[in-house]
Formats: sequence, structure tokens, C-alpha cells
Amino acid sequence: MGKDLIQKSVKDSLFTGIIALALFGPIVGLRTVAKNEVLVVEPKWLVVLLIVIFCAVGRFFINIYTFKKEQRRGESSSLGKAIAHFLDEKGAQIAIGAIAFSIIFPFMPFADRYWMDIAIMMMTYIMLGWGLNIVIGLAGLLDLGYVAFYAVGAYSYALFAIHFGWSFWICLPIAGLFAGMFGILLGFPVLRLRGDYLAIVTLAFGEMIRILLLNWYELTKGPDGLTGIPRPSFFGLPFKRYPDEGVETFHTFFGLEYDPMQRIIFLYYLILILALITNAFTIKIRKLPVGRAWEALREDEIACKSLGVNPRNTKLTAFAVGAMFGGFAGSFFATRQAFISPESFTFIESAIIVAIVVLGGMGSQTGVVLSTIFLIGLIEVFRDFESYRMVAFGGAMVLIMIFRPRGILAKRKPTITMGKHG
Amino acid sequence: MEYFLQQLINGLTLGSVYGLIAIGYTMVYGIIGMINFAHGDIFMVGAFVALIAFILFALTSIALPIILILVLLIAMVFTACYGWTVEKLAYKPLRKSFRLAPLISALGMSIVLQNYVQAAQGARIKTLQPVIQGGFNFFKDSSFVVTLSYLQIFIVLVTIVLMAVFTLLITRTALGRAQRACEQDRTMTALMGINVDRTISMTFIIGSSLASVAGVMFVMYYGVIDFYIGFLAGIKAFTAAVLGGIGSIPGAMLGGLLIGLIETFWSGYISIEYKDIAAFTTLVIVLIFFPTGFLGKPDIEKV
Amino acid sequence: MSNTLLDVQNLTMKFGGLVAIDDLSFSAKKDQITSIIGPNGAGKTTVFNCLTGFYKATAGSMYLNKDNNKMDLKKFSDFKVAQKAGVARTFQNIRLFPQMSVLENMMVAQHNKLMVASGFSILGLINSRSFLQKEKEAVKISKYWLDIIGLTNRADDNAGDLPYGDQRKLEIVRAMCIDPHLLCLDEPAAGLNAKESAELNKLLKFIKNDKKTGILLIEHDMSVVMGISDHVVVLNYGKKIFEGTAKETKNSPEVIEAYLGTED
Repeated sequence: MGKDLIQKSVKDSLFTGIIALALFGPIVGLRTVAKNEVLVVEPKWLVVLLIVIFCAVGRFFINIYTFKKEQRRGESSSLGKAIAHFLDEKGAQIAIGAIAFSIIFPFMPFADRYWMDIAIMMMTYIMLGWGLNIVIGLAGLLDLGYVAFYAVGAYSYALFAIHFGWSFWICLPIAGLFAGMFGILLGFPVLRLRGDYLAIVTLAFGEMIRILLLNWYELTKGPDGLTGIPRPSFFGLPFKRYPDEGVETFHTFFGLEYDPMQRIIFLYYLILILALITNAFTIKIRKLPVGRAWEALREDEIACKSLGVNPRNTKLTAFAVGAMFGGFAGSFFATRQAFISPESFTFIESAIIVAIVVLGGMGSQTGVVLSTIFLIGLIEVFRDFESYRMVAFGGAMVLIMIFRPRGILAKRKPTITMGKHG
Repeated sequence: MEYFLQQLINGLTLGSVYGLIAIGYTMVYGIIGMINFAHGDIFMVGAFVALIAFILFALTSIALPIILILVLLIAMVFTACYGWTVEKLAYKPLRKSFRLAPLISALGMSIVLQNYVQAAQGARIKTLQPVIQGGFNFFKDSSFVVTLSYLQIFIVLVTIVLMAVFTLLITRTALGRAQRACEQDRTMTALMGINVDRTISMTFIIGSSLASVAGVMFVMYYGVIDFYIGFLAGIKAFTAAVLGGIGSIPGAMLGGLLIGLIETFWSGYISIEYKDIAAFTTLVIVLIFFPTGFLGKPDIEKV
Repeated sequence: MSNTLLDVQNLTMKFGGLVAIDDLSFSAKKDQITSIIGPNGAGKTTVFNCLTGFYKATAGSMYLNKDNNKMDLKKFSDFKVAQKAGVARTFQNIRLFPQMSVLENMMVAQHNKLMVASGFSILGLINSRSFLQKEKEAVKISKYWLDIIGLTNRADDNAGDLPYGDQRKLEIVRAMCIDPHLLCLDEPAAGLNAKESAELNKLLKFIKNDKKTGILLIEHDMSVVMGISDHVVVLNYGKKIFEGTAKETKNSPEVIEAYLGTED
């Protein structure tokens, strides 16, 4: 029995090695390099050899491991389940703890510029994840063009702020409204499509918006992008070291030393508040009839129709609300960067947000936070390995689908219980 | 008129490339009902393998026709390995999972392939010296000379030959029968003693080799490639598959030609900056108003 | 004919060259259970799909008498048939929302009135008292029905986790939550054991007698059909071959022939 297994595993790993050689031989082993403007091939056989050995040996051990696992099936309990159970039990306390931590975070001793930037970036992704969670997690509509609404929000914020000089607090709702309207406009024709067709069409829309932003030079300055987007002010008090004559600034008003971190901390709180509003809104609307109808549509559209639920309008509201939050996040992005260009709104951004939602567990708000920390952390850790980090990211998406297709937190809580009402 | 003719020639050439990629989409959709998002990137891998092969053969003194055949074969074999592996790793474990899982897995695989090629081959654009030069010129006396290059003839001819072989394969062989049976009912096919896993694997292998041929043509025709070409070409080829009627193989070829024509005429007569918008708009319009395409079967909602 | 609830005239449905329903006319009365029976493939479910707007009938007319208003069912598409005309239905292969709780299933069925009560979500977002009141009433209605089928204690469990027979019953009472005038049931007894189908008979009689809701029933289980039907319509190859009371149907030579075939 054991000998047979080893023999089989050796055979299998040899086969794996041959396939690996075919896969990595030409692409990795023969790197094309331009020399004097002519492409020549630069062999890298050592790397290929290492990869092939790694694959073959890896396959061997996987074979033996899975065999052993089959022998003691049922004993193992998955880590994900344990985490999910723990979060179920202590959900409320953890949420309060997490919010408290994020409030005091800027005053932690280690929270320097680098950490604050990462925190702001993560918070932006969390907000985007929460926004898209309405569309994908609750309504079950796979939207691969979410970045388009992010872009619409960012550009409409930037254009209004630059051309009309309106303040952040006026431009923010306008940008959200614009993005929401865009959501309705795009959603109207496409929302009756089947799941995978919808995914492709939303992807196409996302790309169309980007191409439009690239080529509509008069409005968007094309690839040059929009510069000089006004920074937000603290209720009219700007964050500036040398203000214009007679203008009170944040540090003079509060009698503080000027410190560029003040603006960063303000931005951090701004996105924290925006994200928490998104979260509160989602939690609430999920318990309203419309939220329940979203989930019902995700479960069975035909049954919904038979009960008189209007599928198109219901989906449209999900699409529009999700788009609106994308637009809010976009305005924040614009005001933080003070510069936006179409380069920030590529398909890969949509893919990252989708991955955050799916990994988190469709519809789970806490899951979005966990998966953002994991995925954005992953991308940050591999920061110095440019394209390898995206390989790792894509690989993570595949692995998650294989091992936990329902995400980290797959359990859903009913929106209404008889215990409370009966 | 001359200008129109030139666009027609260019469109048909481009359309052949799209058509070959589209077959992969349509076959996979037919057999396992999923959009193989990574298929465009498989095409890109094929183009890279071809590029490397061409560079290596340029150092030898083998005659051009033999080089062409060898490059086609090499590209098909190595790219087929990619198609096979992608299916085994990313799709097979998900056959019984919820409906969006394979799509998301495919998306991840597409990201992996793009960035892997970028890491291994560099992010720079790669240029290949023209392999086949020259062609026929028509209307030499008029202001616009129409060119039909040998390369264009080669591309269209190879496409026609492959289509013929492929049609025979599907309609006449046991493999083709097994594939058609799997499309109808996979469980039942398995009960009839047909190895469904192997049939699906073969589908990916065939689809990937056809895509790699498209890759060979692409690298010869444009002479420039980078790791990102698969994304756009993939969407356009998918549009072609839908336009022709997803699941239908002649439809995929027809759709490919149409998309090629739409794109070249759009760039020739309307605007070259927005040429990708043409394909996207076609995709959206077709999916919304015409979801069964030209040769697809109507999809009656089972209640 | 004010006693008529549903009036179907010359209904025809073609799929390409295939004629699934051929010039079918029948009517169903208020406070009655009308059964549609026939061999497999006779076109019974297609009739339902036409009535409930999932298919667009090729020809013919379908009128519903809703509080003495003649409503043309052909004018409504899918969800509007349930929303505007008050025609509810169940499905041959149960269609619950499996990942949602039993109570949530019942609440989704009351979507339209709750949507209005929540001010299209605006009143709901600010926790308006009138909405909470309406929500409470909806829960009460759900509880009423769940009590009848004995599922109240499982109200917070996922609908997909219920045993098969309970899922069938849940689907029926969920359809009742839209307050229908006509309830169309597609093989509600399929897969039920003798005890469960007896319970089903009781439930359907209760809906007919106490709720005054007309029922249109597709069924293969003859103990159900014969036990509760007031009126039977027999289809074969998309055509009506017989119409009458349960007893007349049982003895009709045409029906026996359709089911058992002819001698030669």
C-alpha cells in the first residue's frame, strides 16, 4: 500500500516536472532582451531548473499529504470556521474594539507618515469594499467595472472643485449623486443580463469610461490628468504653512505649531467617518424591505418575480447605491491626491475591490475589513517585487475560490427574527 | 473605393485573429458554461512563445516555410500546456461550486498570467523584425494603392485550413462527439462511460492551441507585443463569440470577422483613438439586444 | 358569470414549430379548486407560465375577475401578474430563498406593501414609527401562516435546511402572503408521503374555504386531485380532452385512454 503510493507519487511528480518544464522553459528560461534595438534571447536555465524541481517535489509532498488526510477525514476542523465562529460570538465587542482602535490609531507612537498613508489607503479600500458589497454581496450582481464609479466620483469632484471653487462638503454629495446617476444610467440597460454576461458588460463599461477620460482632453486633460484639486479644509480652516494674508489656518486657529501630519490625520478621520457611514448605511438598509429583496434576488430571481418583486428596480437601487458610495470614495481620493489621471482607474483596481468583497465572504461587512487587511497587506509586503506581488494577488484569488469559495466569513445572520418580534 | 477595399482586407485579416481566439471562448462556454477570462492571456502567452521561437530560428539557416510550420507547432504545444494547466488548477476544483466562483478564479488566473509574463519577460514592448515581407499592389495608377501582403494571405489561409480541420474534428471524430455530448448533459455523458474530465481537458488544449496560432499571427502582423495584449484582444474575441452566438463554432469565426471589420472600419472612417470603444459598444449592444447572436440557440428560461 | 374567477379562451403557445398549448379554453370559479391534469408533457406547466407572465402566449385571452374588475392577464409581464393582478404561484421544483430564514422568505413575499410602508426606504432609514408598525404587522401575518403549517419554531432557520415536505408547505404559505386572488400550485404533492399529502389537502381546503382564494392546481397525485378538486380539466398534447367534476373525470373513457393508451 505505502510502496504503491510512493511509486504513484514519484510518477506523478515526474509528470508535474515535465509540465513545469514546458510551462516555464520558454517564458522564464528564454528571456527576450533588447540589445542595440534588436531582441536577443538570454537563457536563464538555472531558474527554470529550480522551479521545475520545486514543482515536482511540491507535487510529491502534496500527494502524500492528501493521501494521509484522506485517511483521517473528518477530524480536521478548518481555521476559517474557527475564526468565523469566534467572530460570531464576540462580533459586537470586536467591532467596538476595532472602531476604538481606528480612532486612536493616529496617536499611536508608531503611526508615522508611512503607516498613516497605508491606513488611509486601507480605509479607502474598506469603504469601496463596503460599497461594492451592496452590489455583489447582497444583490449578487458581479460588477467588474466598479472603478468607473470611483472615477466618476473623483473627476466630478475635481471638476466642480477646480472650476467652481466649491468646498469639499458641497462637492462630495454632488460627486456621489453623479456617480449614483451614472449607476442608474449604466444599470438600466444591462441589469437583466445573466450573471457572467453582466460581469463582462460592466467590465466593458469600466474600460469605456477610462478610454473616455483618456481622450476627452478638453474636459479631463487626458493622460496628463487634473492637477491642483483643492485640499479639504477643517470647517473652512485650511492646512497650510504659509496662508494668504489675513486667512486663519488650522494651526493658527488652534494655536498649534504647523505640522504636515495635521492634514494627514484630518484626511484619516475623514475617510474613517465616510467608511463608517457606508457601513452603518449598509447594515441598516439590509434590514429594510429593499435590502431583503436584494438578497432574495441573489437567491432566486424567478421566485422573486412570482412574489411580485420588481427585479429591475430592485437591482437598480443596489447598483445606484453602490455606485454612490464609490463616488464618495472617489471624491475623497481626488482631494487626498490633489491630482488624478485615468491611470488610477484601471481594471486592476476593480479586480482588487472584487477580490476584497469575495474573499471577505459575500455580504459580510466584517469580512471586507479582514480581507482588505490581508490583501492590501499582501500587496504592501511584496511592494519591492513589482509584478510578483500581483502574481501573488491573482494566485490568492484562485486559492480562495478553491478552498473557501464563500469567503472567510460565510455565515449570514437573518435580517429579522421571530424571537424578537413574536 | 480603394480605401474601402484596403480596410476590408485589413479587417478580414484582423478578424481571422479574433475568430481563432473566439473559438476558445465559445468551446469552453459550450462545454462547462463559464467565461474563461484567462483565455485572452493564453493568447498572449502564445504570442510570446512565438516571438521567442522566431528569434531563436532567426539564428539558424532553416528555410522560411519550415520555420513558419515549426513556430506554429511549438507555439501550439507550449501554449496548450498553459491551457491545460489553467483548467486543472483553477477551474476543475470549482465545477460544483457556486456560479460566480469559476469566473472569479478565472479573473485571478488572468492577473497571474499577465504579471507572470511581465516578471519573466519584462514590461517593455517587444518588437519583431518582419518575417514575411512584400505583397501584391492593386490600383497602382490611382491616388491610393491597395496592398494585399503575403502575410495577410498567409494569415487568412492558415485560418481557413485550421477551421476546416477543426470542423472535421468536431463533426467526425469520437472526441468531437464526446464534446457535443458533454455540452448537452455532463452527468449523462459520464454515465455512458465517456471520460468527461479528459474531454474538458481536450477542449482547453484545442482552444489554447487555436489561440496560440492567433498569437503567432498577431506577433507577425503587428510586430509588437507586450504582456497586456491579452486583455483587449480577449474582450474583443469574447465579443466576437457572443456576436456569432456563444456555443456555436462557425458563429465564433463569423463574429471574429465582423469584429475585425467593425474595428478597422471604425478606425479608418471615424476615430482611431476610440477604436476600442467600437468593440466595447458592440459588445454591450449585442448582449443587450441580441444575446443569442447570429448562430446561437435561443435560451428559453426554464421555470 | 360573476362567479367566474379565471376565464381562459383559445390559449395557444408555440415554441418555434412545437405547439405546447393548442387552442385551450377553460374557466375556474371563485372558492373552488380547479385541477389541471394530464400525462407528462401535456403542457400543464406551460399554461401556468402563460398565466403568470413568464411566457408570452402566442394567441388567446386570459381574464381574471378581481373584485368584479375584468383584468387582462396578457397585459402583465412576470412580476406584475403577482403585484397588480394578485396571481400567486409555486413551482414544480421548489423555489425558496434557501440561504434566507423562513421568516425572511415570508417577509419578501410582503415586499410591495412593506416597500410603500418604508417610504421606499427613506422612512425606513430613519426608523419611522409607522414603518416599524407595518413591519410588525407583516411579522404577525407571517406568524399566522407559519402557525398553520406548524413551522413557527423554525422561523429563524434557513429555509434550505427544512425537510422537503416543509419546504413545499412553506412555498405555498409564502405565496399566500401576497394576498392573492388566484393561487396556482404546480405539483404541490410531488415527493410527499401519504401523511404529508393529507396535511396538504387540509391546507388547500382551508385556503379555499376560509381564505376564499381560488386555487388552480397541477397534480399527478390522484388522491389529492380526487380528494379536493371541485372541477377538473384534462390536457393531452396541449389540447383539452375533458372537463368536468372529479367523479365524471374518473369515469371518462377519453381520460382513461389518454393515460393508459388504446387497445390497438
